[in-house]
Amino acid sequence: MSEQKQTAKGGRGIQCVVVTPETTVFDMTAGFVSLPLDDGQRGVGLGHAPFIGRLGAGEVRVTPRGAGSPPARFFVQGGFVEVAHDTVTVITQKAVAADAIDAQEARKELERIQASKAVGKVAIEARLDAAEAARAMARTAGRGR
Amino acid sequence: MAQARALDRRRKSVRNIRKITRTMELIATARFKKAMDRSIAARDYTKHLAKILENIASVGADVAHPLLEIRPTKRTAVLVLTGNRGLCGGYNGNVVRQSLALLGQWKSEQVSTHLSVSGKRGISALRFRGLDINETYTAFEDKPEFAAVAPIGQAYLAAYAAGEIDRLDVAYTRFEGIAKQVAVTEMLLPLAPPQAAGEVATKLASDEYDFYPSAGSILEEILPASFMARLFKCFLDAAVSEQVARMVAMKAATENAGGLIKSLSRQYNRARQSQITGEIMEILGGVEALKQ
Repeated sequence: MSEQKQTAKGGRGIQCVVVTPETTVFDMTAGFVSLPLDDGQRGVGLGHAPFIGRLGAGEVRVTPRGAGSPPARFFVQGGFVEVAHDTVTVITQKAVAADAIDAQEARKELERIQASKAVGKVAIEARLDAAEAARAMARTAGRGR
Repeated sequence: MAQARALDRRRKSVRNIRKITRTMELIATARFKKAMDRSIAARDYTKHLAKILENIASVGADVAHPLLEIRPTKRTAVLVLTGNRGLCGGYNGNVVRQSLALLGQWKSEQVSTHLSVSGKRGISALRFRGLDINETYTAFEDKPEFAAVAPIGQAYLAAYAAGEIDRLDVAYTRFEGIAKQVAVTEMLLPLAPPQAAGEVATKLASDEYDFYPSAGSILEEILPASFMARLFKCFLDAAVSEQVARMVAMKAATENAGGLIKSLSRQYNRARQSQITGEIMEILGGVEALKQ
């Protein structure tokens, strides 16, 4: 509520929404959003041209309008993002707030995946994806500290 | 006295049953509200996915994907969603009947069927009818979680991609509103092709979305996701419907118990009164006899 008021006073903001199959995780007005697209991080500011992108595993960083307050950070694994009319909608099957990630758990998971063996093309790809996701998760957790 | 006492005992037991059904009704109401909230919260995801699909369809991207391909049905999979517990009216029975109709149809067409059943009630009902169940799930209660549904969906997708199944049907209770829940069978695979929504699409097309990395690549990813969302919605609907069914059934049971108590009370009072009258008559008879 307070954010909306702020926006009305201080001009435009980006409406940022993160939805998962179970619930809407996050809904806030932001000044800048950084998204982990399939092929690299991409920033979205005010008035960005509309696009639909495929997300990889990584960190969504939502910087609130105005200086001072720290950005809200999430780890997402796969999914999509739709950007249009200063609205960023992140649609993902898995979204975890960065504070809620256990960095050590994530690192252990990565080690477990790296220690495992995969045979066959599909299995190897799945293993690489899982390792990438675990690495991104550990990175997201580590960044906040 | 014997008859009056028996009536009183019966009335007491009906009262106890009424207490139980009343409590179950209240519990079902509370669970229904929670399940309903979850179901509403999940709607956003489906809505946004559908919007992206519409956009992709409206830019005329080539929508060819194995999940959209309609193959002749040689091997099929059926998933039946029932509850773990009874005392919810016709909820389980209706779903079982739906699935039996479908299974009978596949049998008559000699299509081999992979049958999965969720819920103890459905499992025992279908086993009783001598059907082979390939997979059973009993972990889904009033709060199905996406993390629990996802592996099931992944398995179906993998089987479909590998050509092990040509079709997937789900028999469940669709929640259409608090006053209407219908047992249906719905085909989830192959997926219905995305449709560009007429007027909306022309408006959106002016947005001229860019696609990263490409519309095709997004489609490749979004179709499995939308399948998952639909499957998850089936589980959520089934959970909500079960609670509504139990709520209604228990409300009716409570009311019936009330009626029964009333009629038993009436019978009891009559029996007691006739007993008292009989005793007075006996005493009077005795007094008359003594006088003589």
